[in-house]
Amino acid sequence: MLSLRMLIRTWRGGELGLILWSLILAVAVVTSVSLLAERIEKALTQESSSFLAADLVVRSSKEASEEWLKEAQIKNVSTAKIMGFSSIVFHGDELHLASIKAVQPNYPLRGSIKRSTIAFTRDPSLIESVDFGPDRGEVWVDARLLPLLNIELGDEIELGDMILKVSQILIEEPDGSSYSFFGARVLMNYADIPASGVIQPGSRVTYRYLMASNDQSSFEEYKAWLEPQLDVHDRLITPDQAQVSITDTMDKGRRFLLLAGSVGVVLAGIALALASHHFSTGQTKQVALLKSWGISASRVRRLYLQQSIWMGVCGSLIGLAVGFVFHHLLLLIIREWLPIELPLAGLQPWIIGMATGLLCLAGFTLPALWHLPAQSPLAVLRQDVVSKPLSSVVRVSFGVAAISGLLLWYSNNLYLSLAILAGFGVTALASVLGGLSLLRLGMQYGQRMGSVWRLALANLWRRRSQSLIQMIGFSGAIALLMIMIVVRTSLIDQWQFQLAEDAPNHFLVNVAPYELDGVRQLVEDNQLDTAGWYAMVRGRMTEINGVAITEDQKDSHESFRRELNLSWTTELPEGNTIAQGEWWDLAELAKFSEKVNEAGQVIAPVSLEDELAGELGLKLGDRITFSVGGLIFEAQMIGTRSLNWDNMTPNFYFLFPEGLLEEYPRTSMTSLYIPPEKKLLVNDILRSYPTVQVIELDKIIDRIRTIVSQVTRGLEVMTLLILGCGVLVMFAAVSLSMSERLQESAILRTLGSSRRLILGIQLIEFSALGTMAGLLASAGAELSVAMLQRYMFDLSFSMHLWLWYTGPLVGGLLVGSLGVGYSRKAVVQPPLEVLRSL
Amino acid sequence: MIEVTNVCKRVITTEGKLDILDGINLTVGDGETLAIVGPSGSGKSTLLGILAGLDLPSSGSVIVNNQDITAMDEEGRAMVRAKDVGFVFQSFHLLPGLTALENVALPLELNGDGKALETANYYLDRVGLSSRTTHYPRQLSGGEQQRVAVARAFACKPTILFADEPTGNLDTGTGEIINDLLFDLNREEGTTLILVTHEINLAARCNLTLQLQAGRQMENGEANSKDLVS
Repeated sequence: MLSLRMLIRTWRGGELGLILWSLILAVAVVTSVSLLAERIEKALTQESSSFLAADLVVRSSKEASEEWLKEAQIKNVSTAKIMGFSSIVFHGDELHLASIKAVQPNYPLRGSIKRSTIAFTRDPSLIESVDFGPDRGEVWVDARLLPLLNIELGDEIELGDMILKVSQILIEEPDGSSYSFFGARVLMNYADIPASGVIQPGSRVTYRYLMASNDQSSFEEYKAWLEPQLDVHDRLITPDQAQVSITDTMDKGRRFLLLAGSVGVVLAGIALALASHHFSTGQTKQVALLKSWGISASRVRRLYLQQSIWMGVCGSLIGLAVGFVFHHLLLLIIREWLPIELPLAGLQPWIIGMATGLLCLAGFTLPALWHLPAQSPLAVLRQDVVSKPLSSVVRVSFGVAAISGLLLWYSNNLYLSLAILAGFGVTALASVLGGLSLLRLGMQYGQRMGSVWRLALANLWRRRSQSLIQMIGFSGAIALLMIMIVVRTSLIDQWQFQLAEDAPNHFLVNVAPYELDGVRQLVEDNQLDTAGWYAMVRGRMTEINGVAITEDQKDSHESFRRELNLSWTTELPEGNTIAQGEWWDLAELAKFSEKVNEAGQVIAPVSLEDELAGELGLKLGDRITFSVGGLIFEAQMIGTRSLNWDNMTPNFYFLFPEGLLEEYPRTSMTSLYIPPEKKLLVNDILRSYPTVQVIELDKIIDRIRTIVSQVTRGLEVMTLLILGCGVLVMFAAVSLSMSERLQESAILRTLGSSRRLILGIQLIEFSALGTMAGLLASAGAELSVAMLQRYMFDLSFSMHLWLWYTGPLVGGLLVGSLGVGYSRKAVVQPPLEVLRSL
Repeated sequence: MIEVTNVCKRVITTEGKLDILDGINLTVGDGETLAIVGPSGSGKSTLLGILAGLDLPSSGSVIVNNQDITAMDEEGRAMVRAKDVGFVFQSFHLLPGLTALENVALPLELNGDGKALETANYYLDRVGLSSRTTHYPRQLSGGEQQRVAVARAFACKPTILFADEPTGNLDTGTGEIINDLLFDLNREEGTTLILVTHEINLAARCNLTLQLQAGRQMENGEANSKDLVS
């Protein structure tokens, strides 16, 4: 326990302060980021589960097997059944083709239903969240059904043979987007279905079988058991598949949290490396003294190793506690933006925090202390006898190994780890290579300037090895912070359109040519804008490469069974990118105009959505025969496109050039933003044009917006946290040369130098160092960001000019003010006191 | 007892070979006191380092209590230092984070002494600092700090005490107090005392004097202030 006693005494003496604080903060930052990230991640996963109202759903055209339910009960998995279909509801003479959803009482398994007793309300105080469905004999309905049927809340409606009481207004269903969009929603009790008599053999019904469990392992077991039981009529839906646009946002949000955490890990490592270097320099005298007392080198090594272990364990434990408190404080700050209840974190963040402490210590502190046992005892008599530290290459290798290991383990992402290491590596290398030249240039230029400048810049050159180490610290921290800010800004920019208040939230589909002008007029009368009208033709695939679609193919994919929407355009639609093959240009079209099949018909070029082409087993050059209302034509697949599902504008799986489909019977569609106060326009359209279908996405878009804004806020908080971590690194780097600087300043002060001169020298030294570091950091950040944008965030590469002036500016200001703040002691306290305290 | 035979120390500099010490011979018996004197750069501290086993001569031998420390490896010399040697330095070398008591107790603790604190208290009392045991070096005057260093050196009960200009950083009055303390404790504990000094008065109190001039031994034997002055 002597080593622990020695450690406590060293800490009490203030020598351990920086290293221990760096360690505690390193662990605290990593722990709090991990805790927060895991809790937000879990919450987001739950949130996406709520899009399904379950953890997993089987959609089927038939009712779930009793076997599935029995097995679920055994595995402790909750289940709920849902049936969805369209049916006419009546009240007196009024009728409406409603979208009926029959649910068991325990629906929803995840998320909640929002209901109210006031129609069309948006006032949160009038909206109630419940986790159960309607009682038997009751229905909860979309507010717009009331004017459609001319009824009030409490009135009764007829569905088949049943009379049901409208007891609540349905504001929001967690899985609202997963069902048929057509017609006002009527939510009813599953047990009322037989009595209503609306479901007959052959009725078009979609069954959903909801599953959820809090026991992850038994849930996985059940999932593994269930999958082989499914046939072609059943489709398994996971939360990720439920909402593509949300999944993408959350996925990028998660990656950013990882990036932030990883940057935190590296910053923590740099802080610790700098602090260890500082600590080790201070220990030389003590080791010489111990050895002069006859303590052997091996004993010294053991003592320092034991002290390091104690320091690692104690520092990490305190760091874990601080991290826990810190993450709670962060939660308090962002609570307003995180209305969702955050689930508790697992063990992982604690393990990561502890490992960060121990690994950083092994990678940075131990190599810095390694040479101490070799210190000659003669140093007690002669100051010039100092043992050589481990070579920089060895020390850097240890540090890089520790950081790489941590990064890889923490992020589980090779690209991310490589990008961060490359960014930091380039910055460090540039600091060593370019730093010396900059310091020399500064010194030479300083000769021609005033005395303060000359002294300051000459000082930097005189202390060049220390200046270089500081420069690596400063530039590394600045580069990492810039990387974070650039990625954060790019992501938020990318999400801006999702946050846009007027993003389209309704689709109008199936508008006949003779209805088009009328619907357009109605929209214009309401002073609303559409995203443009797209014509489409409904067609069915009948043959592939001259062979008729088989029953097996029909079973394997619904696109072989049903009518498809075919559209045409000249330009590649916005948000579409070519995945395979090509887009048609004039030359290509000219070639096709001469292509005819055996029947002498012109073959049309067609571009498919990339994933669908893969699912259908279609390759470039394949010929597809379509039937449009009995009229047959042939097309050849010349390319595939990736679509952007985020932008809420119409997307088409099959696109043809203009001039080929216009002769077939067609309808039009568009998307538009309908504000809540004009929601009744939907009723007007449906009344005047009963065949037009309105797909209502307003509720789902509201939810997307909420989630995107939550993820954005999470990003902001993380950025702030990591900025704090960066300042710590700078603080550690400033401390590195402080005792020497204070000593020099105290001597200058003794010789009568003014406060202005001393602080001026410090200001110029640190600002110059910070400016040079900032410049070098910009280069590293630009490289790293290019890699991250390309490989991790699917963002296009762009130069960031602002980095090149912000880096030097922020570096100069921040490092300059930190340095001067630290040096104030030299001019505030009497010189003798300063010298004695060193 | 220390026997030094023909000790030389040679270093290579940019200007060629430099003899820091050349042919030093001396014998210091148990309980005797030796002052090593000479101008700056004459090799006093180098000789002290070699005698204490902190450094090795280029040639010659040093036998400390019948053990040839020049024939030993660093571990062997460390054992000799641990058992037989104590130090007092010009710049005190107290650990800033430790109180006076802890500074004195540390070498004892490192040697596994279970009563380290009691012994440390006893020696601090003997150097007149029993009321300052919980003070940190920065809270003590230079003289007080050197008294703590003296207590630390004697607490380990060395057979030989090496002092490198023990009063070099102190004013005359305080220096005298430290000198008295050193010689009193030396007498009481029966320690051999070898010190490096510039001070005539201090050297005069030793029964042996070794005068160095550019690494060469000028005189060895009974000394008095007159000899040193001449």
